[in-house]
Amino acid sequence: MALLQSPHWPFLIDVYFFLGGLAGGAFVIATVANLVDHRRFRDVVRVGYYLALAALIPCPIILIVDLGVPARFLNMLLAFNPLSPMSMGAWALLGFSACAFLAAVMTLLEDTGRAGNLSGAKIVVGVIGGFFGFFLAAYPGVLLGATARPLWIEGHALGALFLAVGASTGAAAIALILMLAGSRVTDGVRVIRTMLMLALLIQLLSVVVFVASVQISGSAAAARALALLTSGPFSLTFWVGAILVGSVLPLVLGLVSVKRHSLGLTALASVLVLVGGFLVKYVIMAAGQV
Amino acid sequence: MARTLAMFTDTSLCIGCRACQVACKQWNELGMEVPDWTGTYQNHTHFTDKTFRLVRFIEEPGGKPNGDLAWLLMSDVCKHCADAGCLNACPTGAIYRTAHGTVNINQDVCNGCRYCVSACPFGVVSFNEQTGTASKCTFCNDRIHNGLGPACAKACPTESIQFGFRDELVPRAQKRVEALKAMGFKEAQLYGADSGGFLGGLNAFFLLLGKPGVYGLPDNPKLPQKNLFVDSLLSIGSALLVGIGALVAFRQRSGGKE
Repeated sequence: MALLQSPHWPFLIDVYFFLGGLAGGAFVIATVANLVDHRRFRDVVRVGYYLALAALIPCPIILIVDLGVPARFLNMLLAFNPLSPMSMGAWALLGFSACAFLAAVMTLLEDTGRAGNLSGAKIVVGVIGGFFGFFLAAYPGVLLGATARPLWIEGHALGALFLAVGASTGAAAIALILMLAGSRVTDGVRVIRTMLMLALLIQLLSVVVFVASVQISGSAAAARALALLTSGPFSLTFWVGAILVGSVLPLVLGLVSVKRHSLGLTALASVLVLVGGFLVKYVIMAAGQV
Repeated sequence: MARTLAMFTDTSLCIGCRACQVACKQWNELGMEVPDWTGTYQNHTHFTDKTFRLVRFIEEPGGKPNGDLAWLLMSDVCKHCADAGCLNACPTGAIYRTAHGTVNINQDVCNGCRYCVSACPFGVVSFNEQTGTASKCTFCNDRIHNGLGPACAKACPTESIQFGFRDELVPRAQKRVEALKAMGFKEAQLYGADSGGFLGGLNAFFLLLGKPGVYGLPDNPKLPQKNLFVDSLLSIGSALLVGIGALVAFRQRSGGKE
């Protein structure tokens, strides 16, 4: 059996993957809401852009602290290496930060009455930042796929999975904040609930593709790593936490709450999506590094 | 680019003296480590941030031509792949290819992200907690740029480690395989000598007396970046679904009541 080394990326990196994905997802949703109807969905746009910046702020700090030589963090921006998702991710993080900052400032200017309607400028920043946001949500998955770790190199669709998790957690966080602030199911919340369910479906589909591609790869080392997920020490977190409670249950709750117009069910589904979204990233990171 | 330099490790000549391992430690000023108890003379279990050359001691039942237990020895080292996963993965440009074709880590640029550690198909690159950087065999970069061979090759008393130009070493290695096969070593084979083979060929290649797996080497190591295209396409597909889905969902709510 081949001898490999683990990067030993700590728990904080899981937190970064979660927050970066959530920020990207929230930003994209706010951008689409602003694009379609900035008056009717004003609440979604505001919450989405503020949330994207708030979730983003810890990200570079986590990444810098994790480096072996934190003072050399700017070295990431000395190179532009399209073969390295980490290099591309560093650039995307920079680009996204600029857009998330501008979008949040413009929203603040509107809210405080210091500027009139900035939705036109927000569309420009939003579309550019939306691309970066998608990239920020997806690249960690592609990054894991471009390693020699058996579970990750054999499994496909991790990028697709991470992007879907970014969208679902971003949507869930926006919905939760809107419901906490307004205590009612607005049009925006209804749309986001639809989005949430779509993202959950993509999420589940990506997990299936991931597990199936590891299975059919025929690699013994990858099969051993997958067994950690499906029947080993991480199986409870994976099956119950990430899949059942984190994806399937909120999907069912979402469908039920559409018919019943229930605030409580939608809120519960949102909380479960946030927990499940974190767990699915955590468990894939953990099982892949053993 | 200058002619590619290479190291050919002929494991059939290794006597397990570990002079290479000690010479590597001395020349590269690698500090001492607490030994592992591996059950054999081998130390350590695997490459570390202070062990760039490692003699593996392997007992293979039935590995000898007459069916006896084979005591296999192999001086393992960074392979300096022609298609190097670590080099591709490096986000700072700290990992670079020298004019001689070897792969090196610039210790003044590396910021310790550890992506290369996860990207090496052989588990060579190690993280050094003291310096906070990634480290591995440098192919004695300072020596080869001054007309000297790597310290390990210089120290080897049996010429198990040979240093030279790749295009000269490969034919020599092929002849040696034929000779060994004639002697009855049916499994004798080269690992990484073929520049059309996996990872574009290894600049530190090996002659093995058994299957690669016996030595802890992958049979067919893959370039980690092979997934980039498919994974990126799948991510774009996922992004399109989410983006279009969001657009449709918001449109439906906005159109109906205005």
